[in-house]
Amino acid sequence: MDDIAHSGGFLAIVRPARAPGGLVARAVSIESLPDEIFVVVHATGGVTGYCGHVDLGTGIRTALAQIVAEELDVPFGDVTMVLGHTGETPNQGATIASETIQVSAIPLRKAAAHARAVLLDLAADRTGRPAAELDLRDGLVVSDLPLPDNAALTYGMLLDGQALRMRLDEDIPVKSPDRYRVVGRTVPRVDIPDKVTGRAVYVHDVRVAGMLHGRVVRPPYGGFDHGPFVGCSLRRVDRASVAHLPGMVDVVVIGDFVGVVAEREEQAAEAARLLHVVWDVPDLPDLSDLEGALLANPATPRRLLDRGDVDAALDGLAGRMDRTYLWPYQMHASIGPSCAVADWRADGLTIWSGTQNPHMLRADIALLADLPEDRISIVRHEAAGCYGRNCADDVCGDAMLLSRAVGRPVRVQLSREQEHVWEPKGAAQLMQVRGGVNPDGTPAAYDFSTRYPSNVSPLLGLVLTGIVPAALPSVVQMGDRTCIPPYAYDNARVTVHDMPPIARASWFRGVSAMPNSFAHECYVDELAAAAGVDPVEYRLRYMKDGRAAALLRAVARRADWVPRTAPRRIDPGKRVLRGRGVAYAQYVHGTFPGVPAAWAAWVADVEVDRRTGQVTVARVVVGQDSGMMVNPAGVRHQIHGNVIQSTSRALREEVSFDGCGVASREWGGYPLITFPEVPDIDVLMLDRQDQPPLGVGESASVPSAAAIANALHDATGVRFRELPFTPDRIRAGLDAALGALPEPEPEPLPQPLAARPAPLPALARQRLWTGLAALGTLCSTLGGLAVTASPWRPEIAPIARSDPGRFSAATIARGRALAAAGDCAVCHTAPGGIANAGGLELDTPFGIIRTTNITPDEETGIGRWSYPAFARAMREGIGRDGRHLYPAFPYTAFAKITEPDMEALYAYLMAQQPVRNVVPETKLAFPYNIRPMMAGWNVLYHDPRPFAPDPARSAEWNRGAYLAEGLGHCGACHTPRNALGAERWKRAYLGGGEAEGWDAPALSALSRAPVPWTADDLFTYLRTGFSERHGPAAGPMAPVVAEMARMPEADVRAIATYVASFDTRETGDLAAGDLAERIEDAAAVRQADAAWAGQGARVYGGSCSSCHEGQAAHMFGARPSLALNTNVAADRPDNLIHVILDGIAHPATPGVGAMPAFRDSLADGQIVDLVRHIRATFAPGRPAWDGVEATVARLRAAPSHAASHPVLP
Amino acid sequence: MADGAVEIMVNGTRHAVHVDPGTPLLYVLRNDLGLNGPKYGCGLGECGACTVLIAGRAARSCSVPVDVARHWPVTTLEGLVVDGVPDPVQDAFITEQAAQCGYCLNGMVMTVRALLNANPTPTEAEIRDALRYNLCRCGTHMEILNAARRACGLPVRVAAGG
Repeated sequence: MDDIAHSGGFLAIVRPARAPGGLVARAVSIESLPDEIFVVVHATGGVTGYCGHVDLGTGIRTALAQIVAEELDVPFGDVTMVLGHTGETPNQGATIASETIQVSAIPLRKAAAHARAVLLDLAADRTGRPAAELDLRDGLVVSDLPLPDNAALTYGMLLDGQALRMRLDEDIPVKSPDRYRVVGRTVPRVDIPDKVTGRAVYVHDVRVAGMLHGRVVRPPYGGFDHGPFVGCSLRRVDRASVAHLPGMVDVVVIGDFVGVVAEREEQAAEAARLLHVVWDVPDLPDLSDLEGALLANPATPRRLLDRGDVDAALDGLAGRMDRTYLWPYQMHASIGPSCAVADWRADGLTIWSGTQNPHMLRADIALLADLPEDRISIVRHEAAGCYGRNCADDVCGDAMLLSRAVGRPVRVQLSREQEHVWEPKGAAQLMQVRGGVNPDGTPAAYDFSTRYPSNVSPLLGLVLTGIVPAALPSVVQMGDRTCIPPYAYDNARVTVHDMPPIARASWFRGVSAMPNSFAHECYVDELAAAAGVDPVEYRLRYMKDGRAAALLRAVARRADWVPRTAPRRIDPGKRVLRGRGVAYAQYVHGTFPGVPAAWAAWVADVEVDRRTGQVTVARVVVGQDSGMMVNPAGVRHQIHGNVIQSTSRALREEVSFDGCGVASREWGGYPLITFPEVPDIDVLMLDRQDQPPLGVGESASVPSAAAIANALHDATGVRFRELPFTPDRIRAGLDAALGALPEPEPEPLPQPLAARPAPLPALARQRLWTGLAALGTLCSTLGGLAVTASPWRPEIAPIARSDPGRFSAATIARGRALAAAGDCAVCHTAPGGIANAGGLELDTPFGIIRTTNITPDEETGIGRWSYPAFARAMREGIGRDGRHLYPAFPYTAFAKITEPDMEALYAYLMAQQPVRNVVPETKLAFPYNIRPMMAGWNVLYHDPRPFAPDPARSAEWNRGAYLAEGLGHCGACHTPRNALGAERWKRAYLGGGEAEGWDAPALSALSRAPVPWTADDLFTYLRTGFSERHGPAAGPMAPVVAEMARMPEADVRAIATYVASFDTRETGDLAAGDLAERIEDAAAVRQADAAWAGQGARVYGGSCSSCHEGQAAHMFGARPSLALNTNVAADRPDNLIHVILDGIAHPATPGVGAMPAFRDSLADGQIVDLVRHIRATFAPGRPAWDGVEATVARLRAAPSHAASHPVLP
Repeated sequence: MADGAVEIMVNGTRHAVHVDPGTPLLYVLRNDLGLNGPKYGCGLGECGACTVLIAGRAARSCSVPVDVARHWPVTTLEGLVVDGVPDPVQDAFITEQAAQCGYCLNGMVMTVRALLNANPTPTEAEIRDALRYNLCRCGTHMEILNAARRACGLPVRVAAGG
């Protein structure tokens, strides 16, 4: 108020404080609390309205301003609304039940009217005229008679120098609606221009000086907030596991609350990922049988209606129909994970918050912080829409705990996974109806019971820290919303089974009314069908509410409803079935019997794909009687939003659970409706501007599921009583009722076949020659072998480090390009280490081999190696000290390097900056630790002679052969090895091998690439790291391509020409591009058929499709086709699983774009189903993979070198 | 490299930031450059809330390392406003009132802008296809589609009835 006093004058309308309260009840004295302000008229012009509710994206900020402008008679643009700040706005409880306009705006409206009355009195005093002769309009005093001085008199002039503070007169008359000029008219929303241009400051955008970044680590009982394990499952936190990370500030542990604080956001995220935390893993309730779990949950029945004699009516009834309806757990699924900033100071705590309940939150934070409420200020900012309650409050507790610990402001951003797992879900619900129809078609009885396992979900920080005991959950009576059926059944009973939550749950749009109405409206449809009466007509017979009946009639008329007494006739051969359904509901909120909000009715047109089970909601005619609509455009927008969101909920949405709790951790685990699936919506808003306003935020959602279910019945003759209507569920229901439709035979795609003889690599040609000519060249060969085969080789004396100045710049440059071709740095660089300084661990079948330091450091590198020592190591696999090297170092290939190239390589390596880096010695287990044994291996498998070209081939091919077989050592990874680790050049050159736990795919006729490699495709792949017909370079291949960027283009092309010549498959007359197109088109059809059917397809749709589907010239980065990807068609799923788990953090070239890792976002079961879906859909000619579960588990557990392979500078 | 500066060009201005080159572009834009347009939504490239333009194409900045982005000019929602004048796509979104909470709005605007950059005359189906991988939870799809139609020169569907 001080600020206001300094403004030159004001009029404030206030009211004594009301009792505050948090989610956890406790007694607070209200006598000490200051008055609450509703409206302030400023002498400087302008009006500020205050409301304790917040704008959750529904536009109520605009609608409330309209109300204030109307009652005060000021231009709309003069009103500013302050919403939800605890320091300024009245405590009006949580923003729930769509009651802001219907309930919370009432005192605001009265306060504005009161202010107007005061202003009118002031005007009378000022002008000396009776108030009755004066009027107020657009912020001015007006009169039919001339005013003194004939000058305009503004409100500001009336208030100049005054400080008026009035207690709200609750009985003040408000304007009659027939005089409205602002309310009831469409007004553009005040917040949208700033949001569209990036000026709006959401809570996510709050930046406070000195702010640090926090992340939390949540316990393994994901999405469960009560039980004996809550708050006491933490065993150990290993702070040392993150102490070395840059920017680390602190690790905060209180009970089961664990958080990290760092200077930068990505540092905090990395610390949270790497922090080693040991938890007890509790046994969580099994929710795989949801109906069973709801029936087993302890409940207290509450009888809310008992009319007539249900038992007598049901006794011996022939037309008995008992039905069960099941609603799944669903998510609010806010698009923005919750965020908050807290600043803990000696003089008080400030929290910038996106909360829906600022005053309740303040009470909860007071409990968590043990701080009086008047020391806490909640500054409310807009956040992502939440449609109930998300983690917006919880994250405020997190931020407070971290800020208190470090003594600086801390911003906490929850991860997508944390928001999905921990938001209090919309509860599952089980509705059971005992009832039936009399022989004359009238309803015999309606015995309805409902089970709703929810509570208010205490602030998570309170239960994680143990401040609020979580062993025994509270029970709230919230399952009763719209539990009374809207039909005048003579014999009716309604029982609500109040029960504790199972999973963490709280209110979600259409709280319990949506499931209850799903049952009411499906059941009345069944009654109508049993009676042989049109479902609209049948409803109207028993609907006693006149406005409801008028609405239903109007919606039926708008939809051109054609009366019917049975489902449409079904053509059994038809693939797409069409149907139409109707439903009606009035959302009733608040404590029973509750407050009715707007009436709503739907007519939905659906299409069902008989073969795939896919349901399309093609069109919705939705009508609503909202009473007075303050901003009709805003009401229409809410109706649109409710139709689309509730269609998404009905068709697709269901939280899945596994042994760690909530398993839906991102949009693949919980997919939402997308643009192409959005129905056409025709909105009918009844003109009731003379009636009081009703809540419009949720009503249009409530009839949705029943209207769609009833349309499904019309289309198929089958009743579906369990949500969501996923393709797999619908198809199963249709197949059971109607018999399965035969699957069409897909048109076979041309299979590439080996059509030419494969070339022989020089390596194999030479060995062949060795064998044939062995006798004839015995002496010379034996001479060579004798040296090579000796197990004991002499040391070559160390030299003083060569002066790099003795090599020419041109030689060094050539050596650099050759080193790139040889990928020296790919293996000789540790993750995050300096290039060529060694230390990468190669996981071979013989054990871990650590690569050495090949910088010219004299102590730890090769600085004291002479050229002969270097050349011997490269060609013979003998270290300078005479020890045998293991053939993981590909000297078998390097032997082919010419003398000038070898010299240039030496020059380049010696000219590098020496790096001191001690690499632990490789120590293999017996017998591989006996290095002299390698001499025998060399006799068998090593041919040290130089490369010999094939005169029958082109110079380019031979250049490619020299590079690929020698320096490039392609075969080291891409050729299979025998039991002793030798490459099988002769029989299987480039026939597929292994590298660092990844499959190195075959590049020969054995290739699984759906389209044969051409030299052009391979060249593009090696130059850019991506081929449209094959995919991106990933895993250990990405750094190889990155290194090859230093090679001359002609050399890369030569390698491509040579290597592609081994893929001898051909596709007849079809060009590679045409084949690729046909494969992709066929895959797109299969994917469309399989879309959203089963977990694998859902994860694909939500997690993968955004980057892998279709062509998109407007999108940055590659869009790799899964249908053309070798790894999807491979014999083993390893590469596909590798890339799902760890993504591609470092693309070979920047234009390809990176792929995120899904390791922490998808559960094993989801990855298994996803891999199976991808295989079946995108490699249909290939058999299903065996052992996918085991491979996922193995690769998740294995340390991943390739994932951390840096792209070298 | 880990301690060196990464240079990026954002909204026409060159910035040197001292971050790990693997840092997602989104964090650099928001935390180092103080931009509010791109929003953190999933960190997995699934929802589109973080969309920016890289060389005029829509990119999910949560999944693009800053080291990748440094090769091209980057434009954010703020950068579409030139000399205080919003881009026609932004104007279309204001005219059509195409926001409820507005958290996904950045991605919708930037995606339509990128679509128009690549295809100045898209069809209705191409618009829906381009937006299909941008998620909106409020159900603002009707208004967003109208804004996109308006921006793309297609007729806006007038809400029927009253």
